[in-house]
Amino acid sequence: MPSYIIRRLLQIIPTVFVALSFLFFIFFLLPGDPAALIAGGAERNVDPGVLERVEARYGLDDPLVVQFVHYWQRTLQWDLGESFLTRENVNDILGEKAVASLRLAIWAIIIEIIVGIAVGLLSAIRRYSIGDRLTTILTAAASAVPVFVLGFVLQYLFAVQPNKWGWPEWARLRTSGIGPDTWTFFFIPTGEQWRYLILPAITLASVTTALLARMTRGSMLEVLRADYMRTARSKGLGERDVVLKHGLRNAMLPVITLIGIDFGTAIGAAVLTETTFNWPGLGSQIVLAVGQRDLPVILGLTLAVVLAYAFVNVLVDVSYAWFDPRIRLGKGEQA
Amino acid sequence: VAAACGGDDDDEGATTDEGDQAAEGVQGGELVDLGVFGQGPPEHIDPGINTTVDGFQIGGSVYDGLAETDYSDPENPETVGVVAESWDVNDDATEFVFHIREDLKFSTGEDVLPSSFVRGWERASDPDFAGDYSYLFGFIEGGQAKLDGEAETISGVEADDEEMTLTVTLTDPYANFPAVAGFQIFMPMPQEVDELEDQSEWERGIMIGNGPFMMDAPANDQEIVLVPNPEWDGTKYDEALGLPEQPFLDKITFKIGSDIDTSYNAFEAGEADVTNFAPGRYQEAQDNWSTTIDTPFLGAYYFMFNDRDERVGGPDNLLLRQAISMAINREDINTDVYEGSRTTATGITPPGIPGFEEGLCEFCNYDAEAAEAAYQEWLDAGNELAEPLPIQFNADSGHEPVVQIIIDNLADIGIEAVAEPIPPDDYFGQLAEGACVFCRVGWLADYPTYDNFTFDIFGTAALDGNNYGYSNPEFDELVAEAKATTDADEAGELFRQAEQVLLNEDTGVVPINWYRGQQVYNGDKIANLVEDPSGHVIWETVSLTG
Repeated sequence: MPSYIIRRLLQIIPTVFVALSFLFFIFFLLPGDPAALIAGGAERNVDPGVLERVEARYGLDDPLVVQFVHYWQRTLQWDLGESFLTRENVNDILGEKAVASLRLAIWAIIIEIIVGIAVGLLSAIRRYSIGDRLTTILTAAASAVPVFVLGFVLQYLFAVQPNKWGWPEWARLRTSGIGPDTWTFFFIPTGEQWRYLILPAITLASVTTALLARMTRGSMLEVLRADYMRTARSKGLGERDVVLKHGLRNAMLPVITLIGIDFGTAIGAAVLTETTFNWPGLGSQIVLAVGQRDLPVILGLTLAVVLAYAFVNVLVDVSYAWFDPRIRLGKGEQA
Repeated sequence: VAAACGGDDDDEGATTDEGDQAAEGVQGGELVDLGVFGQGPPEHIDPGINTTVDGFQIGGSVYDGLAETDYSDPENPETVGVVAESWDVNDDATEFVFHIREDLKFSTGEDVLPSSFVRGWERASDPDFAGDYSYLFGFIEGGQAKLDGEAETISGVEADDEEMTLTVTLTDPYANFPAVAGFQIFMPMPQEVDELEDQSEWERGIMIGNGPFMMDAPANDQEIVLVPNPEWDGTKYDEALGLPEQPFLDKITFKIGSDIDTSYNAFEAGEADVTNFAPGRYQEAQDNWSTTIDTPFLGAYYFMFNDRDERVGGPDNLLLRQAISMAINREDINTDVYEGSRTTATGITPPGIPGFEEGLCEFCNYDAEAAEAAYQEWLDAGNELAEPLPIQFNADSGHEPVVQIIIDNLADIGIEAVAEPIPPDDYFGQLAEGACVFCRVGWLADYPTYDNFTFDIFGTAALDGNNYGYSNPEFDELVAEAKATTDADEAGELFRQAEQVLLNEDTGVVPINWYRGQQVYNGDKIANLVEDPSGHVIWETVSLTG
C-alpha cells in the first residue's frame, strides 16, 4: 500500500507538467497580445515604445521556448510570479482564493454526501414508492436548473424577501461576499459567517447532490440484488445492518469516485456559483485572468487546481481499499 | 472633489445649494456601496494609471486636482479651480500659469505645493509606469519626449513653490486645457511616492492623497474602505463648489461584487445602501427606490462603421451607412430595452457639453421609407452585401436586445444582418485588431469638452488609436481650429461643423442614445446622493437622512 501511494503521488508530476505546459502554449494562441493588454491596450492602441518596455519587463520578447524554460524554473521553486495586470504576487492570490474555494467546496461536498447518499439510499430501499418517484423527479429537476437561476431564486427567497418582511437579522441569509471570514478548525463558520456560506454551499451542491442521489440509488439497487445480501439476511442480520454494513459499503465504489470528481470540480470550477454569490474563489479568478490574458495568474491558479484534482484522485483510489477490502492496491491481478 | 449638480427629486434631508454655499447634512454614519464595483473589482484605483469611471470614484475621493467642473448649471458646465485658485493664460492659449492655493495638505500633513503636481506628472509620464491616459502629456511641451524615453523630465512644466505657481507650456494652442488639467492623471502626489521602487505598489497600499477621503486600509478583493481625511477642509475651496468642511459620512465601504444582478439582490436584501440599475429592472428600481436617473450623463452610446472595411467603409458606401442610420428606431431601443431611462441621441456630443446643439444628425431620425430608398439607390449603383452584415458587440453586457432591434429594423428595409457577440474581456482588444464592421461603442466624457467627443474618438491622430479607420482631413482641421480657439462661441461653432461632417457628410457613426444616471439607493437612509454628469458620485456631500 505505501509503495502504491508513493507511485500514485509520483504520477502527479507528469500530469501537472503536461497540463500546465499545454496551457502555457495554448495561451499564446489566444487572440489579443498580452503585452498590449498589460500596457493598457484593451481600449486603445498602445505606444510602440511602451509596448517594447512591457515586453522586456515581463520577458515576453524572449523566444517562446526560453519563456517556457524560465516559467518552469520559477515554478519548481514555487515562485508563481506576479500578475501581469495588478503586479500582485500570484502566491498571495493563490493563498486567498484557494482557501476560500476549499472551504466552500468542503461544505458543498458535506451537503452532497449527506443529502445525496441519504436520498439515494432511501429511494433504493423503497423503490417505486411515492418518495422514490418524487426523488427521481426532484433530482432530474435539480440537475436541469441552471446554477445561476437557482442562486437567484435562493437569494430572493432567503435574503431579499426576508429583508422586505422585516425578519430578524439572524434569519436573513446573505447574497454576496465572503463575509467576516471567521472560521474555526479551518472550515467551520463562526459568528455571522454561516449566513454568507449557506446559500452558495447549497447552490454549489445542488447539481452534484442530485447526480449523487441517482448514482447511489442505482448502485444500491444493483447491490440489493446481489447474492451476498440474501446470505446476510439468511444469517439473521437485521435489515438495518444488511443495508448499511453490507449494502451501502459495497455500493460506495462508484459513489466515492463521483464524490472525488465533484470535490475537484467544486474547488476549481465553481465559476457560476462563485460569480452568483460573489464568493472569491479560484474558478472565477481563473476566468477573469483568462479574459485579461494574465498568464502568471492563469498558470499559478491552474497549478493548484490540477494538484487538488490529482490528490483527490489518489485519495479516492486509496479509499477503494477501505470500502472493499478485496481490493489490494498495487498488486497485480491474479488470472 | 467634484462640484455638485442638481440631485434627485426623491432626496430628503441634507441638501446641496446650487453652488453658492456649502452643503448641509447629518454628520456621521456609514454607507455601504455596491454600485461602483458591483460588477467586478477595479483594474486600478491609482489616478496616475486608472482608466475607468469606477476606479476614479476612489481616486477622485482621495485626490483633489487643479480644477474641476461645476455642473450647477448642467447646461453650461464651467471649469472652476480646486487646488488651483485661478490661472492665467496667454493670448494664443499655449501657456497656462496655475496659482495654487495656500495651506492645503495631504492626509499626512505634507503641504500641497506646485512641486507636488510636478511629482505626480513626472510619475504618471514615466514610460515604465505610464498608463493608458498618458497620451495627455503629449499636449505639454516635452511630454511626448518624456513618454518616448528621450527626456528625463517634461520640459514644459515648471513649479515655483515660493510663488505657488505651476507654469505649463503646451505644444499647440488648447483653450480647454484647464479642464484637462483637472483630470485624474494630473493629480498631485506626496513625497512618499519617491520612496517606491515600483510605482505600481502605490495602489496596493494606502494611497496618500489630498482629497476629502483617505483609505482606511489597502484595497482588497472584497472591499475598499474610505474614511474622512482630517487634513481636508472643503471651506478652503471656492464656494461655487458647495463643499462641506468635512465629509458627512464617517466611513464608506465600497464592496466589490462580481455580477450586477447579485449586487442588485444584495441591495434589495439590505446588504448595501447604493447600487446600479440592473438590466430589465429600471422601472422596478424607480418605483421602489431613489435613483439618479434624472442626471443626464456626458456620455454617448453608439455604433461605429469601420471605414477600412470594404463592405461599409469609404465614399462608395455612404448611402448604405445613411440607410442603416435612418432604419434604426432609436425610440424603440430606449423604450423596449432601457424602459425610457436614456435620452434618444440626435448627435454624438451630448447635452451639457459647452457648444452642444440639439439635432445635428440628419440621418438619426427613424425613417424606414427614406432608409429603404437610400439602400435601393446604393444597390442600383451596382453595390451589394454578399453576406449578412455582422454587428459586433460585447456579449453578456446587456447589448443583445439592442442589436436584435437593429437587426429587425434593417430586415424591414431589406438588409440582412447578424449579431456577432465578442467576449467582453476581449472586445476592445479585438476592435483594436480590426474586428469592427458595424460595432457598438460607448463613451463617457473624460472632461466636459467638445474635443473629448470629437478629437479623442474620431480624429485621424486620435489618441485612442482610432480603431475604426475614420479619417477626414476636413474634420481634423475643424477640430484643430476649434481646440485652438479661445472664444467659446466660435469654438463651439467649429466643433459642431466638425461633428456634422462626421454625422452627415461621412455618416461614420450611428448615435443611439445618451446615458443618464445609474445609481439606485435607499432614499430613506441616504440623502443628497449626487452623481455628476461624468458619472462620479460626490461622496463628500452624501450623508445619512438622520
